[in-house]
Parts: sequence; structure tokens; C-alpha cells
Amino acid sequence: MQVSKKIVVLGHFGVGKTSLIRRFVEDSFSDNYKVSIGVHITKKVVEISVGHEISLILWDLEGTDDLKTIRDAYLLGTHGVVFVFDVTRPSTFQGLNTDLEIVKSKMPSLPLLVVGNKADLVVKKDLEEVLSKNAIATDFLTSAKTGDAVNDMFLKLAKLLD
Amino acid sequence: MVERDKIELLKDILFTDDREFAEKIARRIETIEHTVNEQEKLSEKVKPIILKQLDEFVTEIPTTLGPTITATLKEEIQKNRDGIVDALYPILGKMIKKYISQEIKLLSEKINKQLSAKRWTTKFKSWFTGVKEEDIILSETSSANIEQVLLIERGSGILAASYSKTETIDKDMISGMLTAIKGFVEDAFGQKNQNLELIEYELYNIHLQSFVSYYVAVVISGDYNTKAKDKVQDLIFDFYDDFMGKNLDKIFKSSDEKSKKMIDRESLEKELVLKFSNASI
Repeated sequence: MQVSKKIVVLGHFGVGKTSLIRRFVEDSFSDNYKVSIGVHITKKVVEISVGHEISLILWDLEGTDDLKTIRDAYLLGTHGVVFVFDVTRPSTFQGLNTDLEIVKSKMPSLPLLVVGNKADLVVKKDLEEVLSKNAIATDFLTSAKTGDAVNDMFLKLAKLLD
Repeated sequence: MVERDKIELLKDILFTDDREFAEKIARRIETIEHTVNEQEKLSEKVKPIILKQLDEFVTEIPTTLGPTITATLKEEIQKNRDGIVDALYPILGKMIKKYISQEIKLLSEKINKQLSAKRWTTKFKSWFTGVKEEDIILSETSSANIEQVLLIERGSGILAASYSKTETIDKDMISGMLTAIKGFVEDAFGQKNQNLELIEYELYNIHLQSFVSYYVAVVISGDYNTKAKDKVQDLIFDFYDDFMGKNLDKIFKSSDEKSKKMIDRESLEKELVLKFSNASI
């Protein structure tokens, strides 16, 4: 029997949440940026081991600079969280640890992955330096544009939920 | 002249201008006071008259200005008939076209059905009840039909089971979106223990019945009147009662931990088909 799990994808405006999901679900990418309003839901079935599948129901929530304003109704019954920031925009990760505290207070004890997106736009060494300077620990550095590490990230989360 | 008189005289000479000035100020203050008091008195008197006139003006607008406005509008419409028609046509046209095509489709589908297997049943019904055959057919074309039923976990929006007459887009996504809409509406109005119960979507109605851990969404086409609503509610309650009863049996009567889980999706879907597929509402 296939099990379904609800994943919420959070982060500031324009960090690439929708693009990450699109890359993962449809394996496509568009440079044409459209602001997400409210919530958009998609689904992808992943095989986490031979013959063992899990259905990920992905809730792409609209970006917000203040995570406290996220509607609790959208977070109910969540099984896993992906927090996305934009590695090219310090404003999206300078307050990351505070943002994560808010996320954890809203959804305690849930598997959570911290993802730095748009990694294709920066030099890895410089990025690591900036992140370490800001005391930021990431689980994945992804690129929705190139597809780098996107599947790995969602697969890891699926395994954590199993 | 004594010393004292001399001083008084000197005072008079020195302060004459100041005294006059002080007297002028006193007179002005008196005038202002008078004006203010008079205005207040005047306003008290005039206010009711103005209010009365205003009330009369408002109530008389339809009779006084109404004909003028109507005449002006008529004239404008006559002058710019083409322009107005141009502006309204696409909106009205689309609405009428969509409505008629949908109605014709529904009617033809029903008539086709009636002309085949059900024809004799209708004839018999007509003969037995005395109602015209066409009326029976027409009354059946507008009846409500259950198109889809979804049993959804509250909060997470995860689909527990579903039944559908026709194939639709992914039901897991529909469940998620319905839950998001439901959550948004309930959150936005901030009323505790109040649930979104109905979503109208052109020719469809989505009836939402909330329970503690789950909610049931039933998609209905056709004329969804109070009688149909009542029947749908009964069907949902019957189904949910059975569903929860079976769950409780599984959880409490089972000895091993593995089977102490909710009943599986397959069994639930069989149950949904059984309850809803042939239900007439």
C-alpha cells in the first residue's frame, strides 16, 4: 500500500520554492518568475527502496519575509518541511536561524531540510565562506535551473518520513 | 496740589493709551462671545430644518431625479446602442452559450438514456401516475447526481479513499486543494467550530461534511436542492458511521499491533462505491 506524506515548502519571496518543486515533479524550469499566491499543491511518487513507494504531497506556500504570518491552517498535519533560501540574496538567509526557530515552534519535531537554492549562480568556495560567516548550516545546496541536488534532496526527505 | 494728586495726574497721563487699548480688547471679546453664542443658538435652530430637508431630498430623489436619470440613460443607450451591445455581448454571449450548450448536452444525454433502456419504465411510470412522459423525463434531467466522493484527512488534506464516476485530475491534489481552501476560509473568518460546508462551482456543488479527524467531500451535478442535500447528508453520515465503527473495531478488538491500524484504502473505496454509486438523491 502506498503511503502519502504532506511536505510544506517554505521560504522568503523569490527564493525558488516553486521552481524546485517544478524541477522535481515535472523536470522542467522556467526563468519567467511568477509570484505564488496562497498555496499550490502537487504530488510525486518516489521509490525509496525497491518496490517501496511513498507519495509526496507537496504544498508550495507563498513566500513571506515574516514566517510568523504563515496561516496555521496550511501547516496542519504536515509530515516534513523544506526551508528554502536564495544563496544570492543575503536578506533571505541572514535571519535564517531565527526563521528556523519560528518554523520549529509552529511544527515541532518534524523532519526539516534547509536548502540553499540558486547555487549555480555563485562560486561554491565563496558561498561556503559566506554561509560559515553567517553561522548557517545547510542540508543541501540546490539549483532548480540545472537540477543539481534537487531529486537527492526530496528523496532524502522521503526517506526521513518513511 | 498735594503729592498724592500729582502722582494720580501723572498716572492718568502715562496710562491713557493702555487703558483705551484694554477697553478695545474687552469690547472685542464681548462681540466674539456674542457671535459664538448666537451661532450656537442659530445652529440649534437651523440643524433640524437642514436635516429634515436632507431626509426629504433623499426620499424624493427617485421621484424628482429618477425620471431625469432614467430618461438620460435611455437616451444614452439609444445613442450608443452599438457600443453598449459591443461591451455586453461577449459577457452575456459566453454565459448564454455555455449555459445552453451544457443544458442541451445534459438533456440529450438524458433523452438518449431514456430512449433506450428506461423508455418502458418511463412509459409505465407515466401511465401509472398520470404524469406526462415528457414531464417525467424533464424532471429526471434536472435531478442531482453524485459524481465524486472523497474521504479526506482533516488538516493534512491527505486522501484516505475516493470514488469517482469519471476520471478526473489527480485526486490527491484535489484533496489537498480542497483542504487548503477549507482551511483558508475557516481561518480567515476566525470563527471557532465553524466549517466550510458548500462550494458552488458553476454546474457543480461540492458538499463538505466535517468530522473530527476526517471530512467527506461529495461532488454533485444537477439541481442540488434541500431535499438532495438532506439525502447526501444521510449517505455521508451512514458511511462515516460504518467507517468509524470498523476502525474502532480494528483498533480495540485486534490483539496484534500490526492490524491495529485504520482500515485500508482498498476496503474503504469498496465501501464508498457500495454506499454512493447507486444512491439516488
